Amino acid sequence: MTANPSVPDAQQALKEQEMSRRRFFALVGWGGFLASMGGAAFGTFRFMFPEVLYEPPTIFKIGKPTDFGMGVTDTLKKERQIWVVRNERGLYVLVAICRHLGCTPNWFLDQERFRCPCHGSIYDVYGNVRGGPAPRTLWRAAINLDPVDGQVVVNFIQRQDPDPKSTPEGLTVLEPGREVAPFFITT
Amino acid sequence: MTRWLEKLQQQIVSTQVWRSLFRHGYPDTDLNRALVMFSNVILHLHPVRVKRGALKIRYTWCLGGLTFFMFIILTITGVFLMFYYVPDTRRAYNDIKDLQYVVYFGNLMRDMHRWAAHAMVFLVWLHMTRVFLTGAYKPPREFNWVVGVVLLVLTLILSWTGYLLPWDQLAMWAITVGAKMAEATPVIGVAGPFGIQLGMRPDNDIRFMLLGGTVVGQSALLRFYVLHCVGLPLIAALFMAVHFWRIRKDGFSGPL
Repeated sequence: MTANPSVPDAQQALKEQEMSRRRFFALVGWGGFLASMGGAAFGTFRFMFPEVLYEPPTIFKIGKPTDFGMGVTDTLKKERQIWVVRNERGLYVLVAICRHLGCTPNWFLDQERFRCPCHGSIYDVYGNVRGGPAPRTLWRAAINLDPVDGQVVVNFIQRQDPDPKSTPEGLTVLEPGREVAPFFITT
Repeated sequence: MTRWLEKLQQQIVSTQVWRSLFRHGYPDTDLNRALVMFSNVILHLHPVRVKRGALKIRYTWCLGGLTFFMFIILTITGVFLMFYYVPDTRRAYNDIKDLQYVVYFGNLMRDMHRWAAHAMVFLVWLHMTRVFLTGAYKPPREFNWVVGVVLLVLTLILSWTGYLLPWDQLAMWAITVGAKMAEATPVIGVAGPFGIQLGMRPDNDIRFMLLGGTVVGQSALLRFYVLHCVGLPLIAALFMAVHFWRIRKDGFSGPL
């Protein structure tokens, strides 16, 4: 809509500047239609993202620290997909997910190694890579003690993942840097 | 600005993608209008030429078209509901409640499905009433009337199978009562004429086949779910295709 200044009639010029009734209703109509279509599209898109998940909890208790003896505890692998490891300094939790392609490795007590059945990745008790195609060391899950009942609370989602160094033995992360809160309990 | 837009439009229209999608010019000539109908699988159900009077929307508001519109709404909302609903007796009711109170847009989606279902049943009846009162069932349209009756029955069965899915008391007993009717079928129902004489028992008659058991339980829920979501809509779509194709062949009987 461009007002033509050559038209002398002032009223005509005013009319052209104003929005006509037809145009107003067209704008309101199409605007309302597009807005409702947009709202429906957004709502339908949002519908696909669940508000409540029926999944295993990602934060869970596994018992008192004293329940876990020296070395690797292999009993929680099936239910919680973790290994609890105690050394002379304290307790940490390894996530039982191979860093190569996500299979679940097995613990071999005689070899003191985690070995992945899928493509043969090998990890030591610290989670350092000792062979196979794994590109990084095993994750460690965040742990802390419940102030009420003193149980170990594992946060499966919060994970320690430092950049490993390439050594003659394999991909390694130095231990002192890893044994820090919230990924280590000194009891 | 306008020239630039025209140039852009010219570029889009001349691409191979555009020309493979729209195999004709803008429908402003008789030839192009006919080509629109010929070259589109959905539009070709519509007759190439329609009498002006047949497209007037009078006081019945194209009831068959409205029924089909409800079917489309039901298909789309139904697919979305299927993302959250599991036909398991232990969680079906909870899934419905989740849809109502937890899932974003879930209550609207469920309500749209429910009300469109009611509306579809209602509109099918009105559509058939209109066809009956205007005599549009008479030859050469008698075949399409019969197809329409089949579609009516399919609509009712779709409605009935969907009734069970919320798995509440209403659903339970509605299907328990409804399945009693199957039990009373002659010859193949245990409570029907000649049923017992022909060896029908509660665990081998037609009701048993429908419910997948002797009571309305897990098998019945799963069967009704599969029928409601896959079997019956496919059959209904097939009959609808025939229904619309017949309208194209027989022509519209009068204003919509």
